[in-house]
Amino acid sequence: MPHLAALYRSAKFLVHNAAEAEDLVQDVYLEALKSFHRFEPGTNCKAWLFRILFHRLHHLRRRLLKSSLEDAFTDQDSVAAEPPVPQEIKDEDVLAALDKVPLAFREIVLMADVEEFSYKEIAEALKLPLGTVMSRLSRGRKLLREGLSEVAKSYGIGTSANDATGEELA
Amino acid sequence: MNLLNFDSRQCERTRRQMDAYLSNELLVETTDEMLRHLENCEACSRELQSRMRIREALQRAAARQPLPEGLGEALHQRLKKAHRRPFWASGGPTWALAVAVAAMLAIVLVGGRQWSNLEHARQMVHNILTLGVSDHLHCAIRGHNYPEVANSPEVLRKKLGPQYAELLPVVEKKLPGFQVLEAHICTVPGSPRKYVHFIARGKGTILSVILTEREGKALPQGRLVAASSFGNVNFYEKQLEGMSVAGFQVGGYFGFVVSDLSQHEMGQLAEGLAPALQTALKTEGNQASQSGGLAPSRTTS
Repeated sequence: MPHLAALYRSAKFLVHNAAEAEDLVQDVYLEALKSFHRFEPGTNCKAWLFRILFHRLHHLRRRLLKSSLEDAFTDQDSVAAEPPVPQEIKDEDVLAALDKVPLAFREIVLMADVEEFSYKEIAEALKLPLGTVMSRLSRGRKLLREGLSEVAKSYGIGTSANDATGEELA
Repeated sequence: MNLLNFDSRQCERTRRQMDAYLSNELLVETTDEMLRHLENCEACSRELQSRMRIREALQRAAARQPLPEGLGEALHQRLKKAHRRPFWASGGPTWALAVAVAAMLAIVLVGGRQWSNLEHARQMVHNILTLGVSDHLHCAIRGHNYPEVANSPEVLRKKLGPQYAELLPVVEKKLPGFQVLEAHICTVPGSPRKYVHFIARGKGTILSVILTEREGKALPQGRLVAASSFGNVNFYEKQLEGMSVAGFQVGGYFGFVVSDLSQHEMGQLAEGLAPALQTALKTEGNQASQSGGLAPSRTTS
């Protein structure tokens, strides 16, 4: 199945729940099958599938999406001091930080940084103006960074005992 | 929030552009300007590295996320089930609606008894037209088995072999606006089925003309499911996997015209091709079994 891994991954980061992510992804392919006649050959198939994913997700999460926007834009700083970033970033740390980024920003960070869609493709998939995509990406990356530095801080010194898979540690 | 003391406006500009730079969305000139600044500004270049590090860490962590076991399989099952569901429940494309309307009329006109025959015929048409579309997708579109510059007629005749070489001028003549780039005999992996494949380019796209051995199968003869009928040949049209296909039956073969152009266009080309192919296959002799478009009796129970 094309792009299954990418879609599942994104779905899981967006809904925080493996079972729900699986359902969501299956729905995306079903929907794609049904509306295949609307797909224009030669256009980006992955972007099309993501468009369906977001369409469904937003349907499910309309209220959440709205509230996530409200509390994330309270602090409108442009070029404030950026918190330090640890030299080595562990998988679980960056994923934990990502989890804390509100949905409206998380989805854009995922599309831009993980799936490497262009601004234009993101704007089309999410039905947002290009400027909004840019500002949310910027804000989302910043929130991710702040989260990351907090997670790193919370370890304190020495860090977690159950960290057996610390391959990221130097 | 403590604001950093930037020594120049340039730093502030660079920071603002960093997000676009990371996503490769900056204009070339702006990128140049930014790179020049980064060379001379340690703070900004450290900042860029931090941001790149986060981005890479996120990509790496995401790539390492395991796919749940059996997700592909579960999905496959669901898709298969959905495919088998009656088409009117699938919210499908307009042709399905048209077929549904035709089917409803048929019930009123010929009574419920005929209904299952009609449904069966529809399914048969679907299955047979799928052959043509999958051959086109497999060999021409995904396999890209054609040259950018057309092969010479001599080469094509050789590839077709004596049995089918005479079909080449027929196909060329009946595809106005198209140039035949390639012709060959294709095999289907894991199946004894072979097909004669002509690949042509024109109207900004690639089109296949396919003749595949019927192997005893037949398109239904009922006029209700046919899109049109011309002479003694019925034509069937459909949109499948983003392609338009028109199919017909000549001699021991099914003929298909497939491309992403309109269904109407495929139908018209098929109507031109079918009689000419029928004649050519007949004079070719031996292979084209005398049935000449007449199908053996239906397999409906």
